[in-house]
Amino acid sequence: MNGKIGRVRATSAALIVAAMVTATGCSLNEGGGDTSDAGSGSGEQSGGATLRIGTTTDVENFNPLQSLSKTDSWILNATYPTLLRIDGNAQKVPELAEEYTTEADGSIVVFHLRDDFVWTDGTPVTATDVAFTAQSIMDYQLGNVAAKLTWVENIEVRDEQTVAFHLSEPYAPFAEGVGFWMRIVPEHIFSEAGDLSQFANDSDWVGAGAYVLDSATPGQRYTLKANENYPHAPEGGAAVETVEYVVYPDVNTMILALRNGDIDLMGTPVPVSAVASLEGDENIAIETVESLGFAHLTYNMQHPVLADQAVRQALSMVVDTESIIETILQGDGQQMTGPIAPIFADYDNTELQPYPFDPAGARSLLESAGYADADGDGMFDELQFEVVCDQSNANLTRVAEVVRDSAAEAGIQLNLACIERNTFLSRTREGDYDIDLSQWGVFDNPMDQLRSTYLSSNPGGINYNLVQDPELDALVNDAAVTADPEAFVEKIKGIDAYVHDQALLTPLYVEDFRFAYRGDRFAGFDPSPSDLLGMVTGFSLSQVEQVD
Amino acid sequence: MLRYAASRLLRAILTIWIAVTVTFFLLRLLPADPTLLVVEGDMTPEMQEALRSQYGLDKPILQQYVLYLGQLVQGNLGVSFRQLVPVADLLLSRLPWTLLLAGSAFVLTLLVGIPLGVYAAVGRGGLVDRGVQFFGITSNALFIPSVAILLLVVFGSNLGWFPIGQAIDPDTRGLAAYASLLHHLALPLFSLVLVQLGPYALTLRTNMVEVLGEDYITSARSRGLTQRRVVWRHALRNAVLPALMLMGLQLGTLIGGAVLTETVFAYPGVGRLIFESVQQLDYPVLQGAFVVLAVTVVLANLVTDLLSMVLNPRIRT
Repeated sequence: MNGKIGRVRATSAALIVAAMVTATGCSLNEGGGDTSDAGSGSGEQSGGATLRIGTTTDVENFNPLQSLSKTDSWILNATYPTLLRIDGNAQKVPELAEEYTTEADGSIVVFHLRDDFVWTDGTPVTATDVAFTAQSIMDYQLGNVAAKLTWVENIEVRDEQTVAFHLSEPYAPFAEGVGFWMRIVPEHIFSEAGDLSQFANDSDWVGAGAYVLDSATPGQRYTLKANENYPHAPEGGAAVETVEYVVYPDVNTMILALRNGDIDLMGTPVPVSAVASLEGDENIAIETVESLGFAHLTYNMQHPVLADQAVRQALSMVVDTESIIETILQGDGQQMTGPIAPIFADYDNTELQPYPFDPAGARSLLESAGYADADGDGMFDELQFEVVCDQSNANLTRVAEVVRDSAAEAGIQLNLACIERNTFLSRTREGDYDIDLSQWGVFDNPMDQLRSTYLSSNPGGINYNLVQDPELDALVNDAAVTADPEAFVEKIKGIDAYVHDQALLTPLYVEDFRFAYRGDRFAGFDPSPSDLLGMVTGFSLSQVEQVD
Repeated sequence: MLRYAASRLLRAILTIWIAVTVTFFLLRLLPADPTLLVVEGDMTPEMQEALRSQYGLDKPILQQYVLYLGQLVQGNLGVSFRQLVPVADLLLSRLPWTLLLAGSAFVLTLLVGIPLGVYAAVGRGGLVDRGVQFFGITSNALFIPSVAILLLVVFGSNLGWFPIGQAIDPDTRGLAAYASLLHHLALPLFSLVLVQLGPYALTLRTNMVEVLGEDYITSARSRGLTQRRVVWRHALRNAVLPALMLMGLQLGTLIGGAVLTETVFAYPGVGRLIFESVQQLDYPVLQGAFVVLAVTVVLANLVTDLLSMVLNPRIRT
């Protein structure tokens, strides 16, 4: 009797253990679960340093023509070069392209490439690769770059280092947009891959950036090796030979891993609430990086009451941006006025005055605009709006509460709907909101931003104001074809002032990002603004030095 | 007996079909559209249309369902929206880790839980018994992520005994690799066992107390059998049956717990894959993962059913 139970138990336990060992054990670090280039296993010890970076999620898609998630971009931007990159001051500077010129009043844009970029299989990077990349994106309508190539009529390869884009009409920031966003892929590999909208590109990577993906162990780590031919590396080559992205889905665990030395850098910004505790750790250094986006309240112009300029101005007067930055961001942010972020200093309208924080003033503005409080409950009868926001953004959900309370002082009732992220995105896409409280991620230049957010034709699908204003359309379209740089800047400033006066949005803040790394091991990062670029661009990593 | 086995099998298949169907429609009831998540910001309507047809979301929902079932019957789980690789490959690369974690938690819970329950029942009212009762109730109330973070802070960060996150050090080979595997497994395993063990030991204790009061135990004692023999041979056999059923039922919870555990401990596994795929609304991966999990749980219950049939002759008739 006892023997039977014992046998059953022992057998099943043994079976489970055996199954587990065969399932996992047999491939323990033998490359069974890895997709890796032959001959360069992730375990080999090499002379250079290994820098381990915490990332929050696995790579979703290895195809650089498609992939758009922030965390994928960290890895793919290092592997595949762009024509231009963004430096610490948000300026576009040469990367693969030495320079760009325009012809025929700006309707032809010519990129002149460096001659010393080489793919890791030894093939030189040429104009043909650039032309192939752009053509494929247009043919298959891939990623956000497709929208940036809208004007291209044909692409001309003039010689190995020169490629010209012929545009249907001049578009001032064409070179900047395409130069920064389009990751160049090797023509000799991708042209063999068939349908590029279905191409997974999940092994045997051939890149030409500073660090090229070498092996991937989904769920765990992604290893990149320094490209010894990368021309922008310091003399003698990059000190960091291997970059390892290690996945930590939970940011608190990632912080512990940094403190413990399991990783050297957090790719994700440190949450405001954790900055103080990390600052107290002598092994950890913190770098502050500006943002290329900003948080804002955007008003749905299709709403009959919000279509009234006085209401939008009054709403702008109930937002206390200074105290929001002080309390919610703990001071790690900047105020802004108008729709263009201050990092684009050339376009900054310093004479624009922000709407003052003045709930009482807002109330009298609304009264003089004819709004009434018939039932005497202190709230205007018509002024009830729903504010949607993404509940995963902790800062914005707190902002929502603060704004709701001060709006009530002015007699405006705001109902908060901070909802699950995917539902939020879906509702904003469909225009199903009165007021959208959200944060723009990355605008690399003001013209693209104004065009995407304010044109009635809504070419990028992010005109969240749903504004249809012929005057604004004319201003934007006129600026877009202006080739003269000074006139261009003036026109952008004009739009900035117009939007500010219309109060189409209430800008809340430009958030500063804090990146934490092991200062006792590494130094010399060359960060760029935004959490898309941050500390982890290929260029930045190639400049890093080891601390003894 | 054959009829019993056949009816269990039929029920298992029916359960899996229901799980598949519910998952399929539940995902499509979500208010968000997976194509919207591909491009944040600039996306032309043409791009969105192209993606919808690439994902097969442009077809009527019933047609999508029939196509999906057809695929599934042939063992094809489809291709991930985002990663563009077969779902089966994704799951196979992750499943071993979840099996290792949930499986070893399962075994460890049995190995520790049974003696604990038995000793508590035998020494009823004693120190061990009171300990088990207290622990049983407390551990039932524990929330895995909080336990996980606590363990990480104390044993990972403060004491530095265990690594934080990951499943293995990629630079180790041979025996060292196995050691590294166990080293990384320890904390997530401990947190799962901690949560599972209490209720399990408590159930076993209650059953055992009841069984120890039965007439046949008294008669066994009166025949002069040793305490050890009475407890471990005669009583445990009957007490372990309901506990075994409970464990089969709890396997679902265990896998659910593994999802949270994997996320907090940065442990690679199906749970994390699900977590990430929900954020991306990658329907094929989610459907595939739920099918595999449903099959695992149903199989485990089937095995428990059949096992109890072997152990308990009364069920056979």
